[in-house]
Amino acid sequence: MRISTLAVTALLTLAAATAAHAHAFLDHAEPRVGSTTPAAPKEVVLFFSQNIEAAFSEVEVSDANGARVDQGKPKVNATTMRIGLKALPPGTYRVHWHVLSKDTHSTEGNFTFQVEK
Amino acid sequence: MSRHLLPTLALAGVAAAFSTDAFAHCFVGARFFPATLATDDPCVADELSLPTVSWSKTGDFPPATAWDFSGEISKRITENFGISVGQDWTSIRQADGTLTQGFQNLETTLQYQILRDREHELAILSGVIVDWGRTGSTGSGLATDYSLVTPTIYFGKGFGDLPSSFSWFRAFAVTGQVGYEIPTSSFDFIENVFIPQQLVYGASLQYSMSYLKSEIVDLGLPDFINHLIPVIELSLSTPVANNFGNPYTTTGTVNPGVIWVGSHFQVGLEAMIPVNRVSGTGVGVLGQLHLYLDDMFPSTFGQPLFGASPTTPRKMTF
Repeated sequence: MRISTLAVTALLTLAAATAAHAHAFLDHAEPRVGSTTPAAPKEVVLFFSQNIEAAFSEVEVSDANGARVDQGKPKVNATTMRIGLKALPPGTYRVHWHVLSKDTHSTEGNFTFQVEK
Repeated sequence: MSRHLLPTLALAGVAAAFSTDAFAHCFVGARFFPATLATDDPCVADELSLPTVSWSKTGDFPPATAWDFSGEISKRITENFGISVGQDWTSIRQADGTLTQGFQNLETTLQYQILRDREHELAILSGVIVDWGRTGSTGSGLATDYSLVTPTIYFGKGFGDLPSSFSWFRAFAVTGQVGYEIPTSSFDFIENVFIPQQLVYGASLQYSMSYLKSEIVDLGLPDFINHLIPVIELSLSTPVANNFGNPYTTTGTVNPGVIWVGSHFQVGLEAMIPVNRVSGTGVGVLGQLHLYLDDMFPSTFGQPLFGASPTTPRKMTF
């Protein structure tokens, strides 16, 4: 086996061995990113690709006027973060999140969903 | 090892162990700029491109077949200042079977992060690239005995800050770089030609399927598709001075391709289409394995050597 092949194999093996640490990407969400729901959801749930730190991970949900519609504190469990919602009338809502993965890498994002009239 | 170096390394190790990292590889707000293959991304980072492999046919008559194998490692010294070291090994087989192969000159790059604007997904980076003369195979003609110094500016801009009405268009991003290459010698006495100063520039247009899924609309596509970033790159150089008696012809390639982005590494594959006959013959291929060292070694090598905050990570303010 050539040295270059060995080196690449070793690096990939190392990458696989460290698979528990990386940036936390948003894998999917409920309500789904960009979706329209027929009924107002009771909560927003975010599913990430890595474990996240509860103390440094946050989520906000606001309506079209920028007013907060979430309630309570975000609950973090391993790769999941959820937050309760007030009773939502039909309209467009923006979810803004920021999380810190277990290895202190920071990621953020935002998306919208709609509640059908 | 000098008596001064040991304490310095120890200090660096302590700093790395207690430091935190808000950015690491090229995240700017919700946007991730992947490492592009023909041009550079607009961030300092801890990363390793190994290997980058290309196959192409030269613009000679008749064309020769060229293979190029290269590697580059990048390391942050501070949060915003980094250094890269790269090396190319090239093999060129002429149509008559003549083989030329060897190392090109060693390349180093110093880069400083000028701006990372999270809200507007905008990154600006400055750098100086140096190809060090006499560090490669000068006997084969693949390396020169003079150096090349190229001050360069890099940028990246995502379109996620456009109004929601732009919908899927917001997953697009552009990156680019412009450099001015200055040789340390003005005349090549071996080839008996002037050595021109050149404008070296390039750009990429990229579409992030991951951004589409997590920021705009989740279409429920297969996971593999959601990790793809289709990209088209442009890599050009144009002589602009000290080119007496030679045409001021722009050379380069247009590279359509795709990058698959994982948690710890990415894989890219591009076609290389010469922009004119001087730039090459037919379509070449460029591939790269790129490792995110900050994710692979988050508490050691993946940290800047100096200057990272020893405090706990910052709280987010929306």
